[in-house]
Amino acid sequence: MTASVSLADLTAWLGAFRDLVTENRDYLTELDSAIGDADHGANMARGMGAVLDKLGAGEPASAVDELFKGVGMTLVSSVGGASGPLYGTFFLRFGATAGAVTELDGAALSAALDAGLGGVIARGKAEPGDKTMLDALGPALEAFDAALAEDGDVSAAAAAAATAAAAGRDATLDLVARKGRASYLGDRSAGHLDPGATSTAYLFEALAGVLG
Amino acid sequence: MIGIVVVSHSPALAQAAVDLALQMVQGVRPPIAIAAGAGDGVIGTDAAKVAAAIEEVASADGVLVFMDLGSALMSTELALEFVADPDLRVRLTSAPFVEGLLAGIVRASGGASLDEVEREARGALAAKSAQLGDGADEPPAAEAGHPSTDDGLSVDLELTNPSGLHARPASLIAAAAMAADATTSVANLRTGSAPVRADSSIALMTLGARTGDSIRVSSTGPGAPGVIAKITALVADRFGED
Repeated sequence: MTASVSLADLTAWLGAFRDLVTENRDYLTELDSAIGDADHGANMARGMGAVLDKLGAGEPASAVDELFKGVGMTLVSSVGGASGPLYGTFFLRFGATAGAVTELDGAALSAALDAGLGGVIARGKAEPGDKTMLDALGPALEAFDAALAEDGDVSAAAAAAATAAAAGRDATLDLVARKGRASYLGDRSAGHLDPGATSTAYLFEALAGVLG
Repeated sequence: MIGIVVVSHSPALAQAAVDLALQMVQGVRPPIAIAAGAGDGVIGTDAAKVAAAIEEVASADGVLVFMDLGSALMSTELALEFVADPDLRVRLTSAPFVEGLLAGIVRASGGASLDEVEREARGALAAKSAQLGDGADEPPAAEAGHPSTDDGLSVDLELTNPSGLHARPASLIAAAAMAADATTSVANLRTGSAPVRADSSIALMTLGARTGDSIRVSSTGPGAPGVIAKITALVADRFGED
């Protein structure tokens, strides 16, 4: 039973996410070469690499908002593609909502994740079913909140979110893209997993791994 | 004068588009800042760079932002959250990148307002669309080789104003043409150009008509006499220039 996450847990989450996008860099790029501009793996690996380099170089952040402001700003400047402003906005809103604290309980973590989701929706203007990262992110947060409501165990909620994000990712296989470059392909975008939903599934796999 | 920000995935693309537009500008140019590429030589966009570019050219007259595609839009929208001055007027335009930038920079260099520059930039695709004859939702264009004088009116006028058919005179003719219930075209008799639509100031500027050139104004429709008289008066008045 885990009741809260610490600054160290959150930093470990970022490291685990970096590891997953780096290990799966070629796979993400392969997915993106089918329906996009073949740069998602390279962009995410470079962006999260820059985030971890920056975390390792300076003074450690003293609060959650400071940590994620740095993460968000680094991503918007280093990713290059649409994932830069999307993941950047996600982490910026996450941090701003979490505030100047060093620990988040389940409700605070849920609120921060929800703010991140709101940022992604505002930025990308996508809707569920458009074959975007939202199709993994939305179900993940619903599952997180549902699991948290049962017994307040953040670790179990993160595991439920990871499972739901993976299912959301898998469900993008048959969708026709309505946002981003993949939308230019029309019906030909069906039959491929969405790269953004796939990296979002890694984000929750990383959280579940760190808290598990 | 408004500021212009150019957001592109590629620094080379942005610089070339700006260079192309500046060929049209003699004299004072508006403040222009480029935010292109991400990180070290990465093709992409960077919201922090965009915010810095907006602040670099900011003034009370406002800032118009041109974007190439995709993440350039999202990075620019995110950049607005980073701009420190909440009262700064920043407009993101859906104008076509190359044509819009050219039209916008030309118009901005004449001291036009943010609204005027953006309207001109967004209309900049009309000239291309008209020339290629694909503007289904556009008024019928005067087409090359089509003698629109057959059943209409025509007048030849010599330009005596100093700047010729530059931005402001062109926009005055365009306004007159748009206001009339008529289809009006203008040709440059010196160059022997094909007639262009009179209701597009961008199209008129492409005539390259200078002081001393004669232009042929042709118009058909119920409003033809009125618009011919109006344009004749504008030319005779040298468009109000000294």
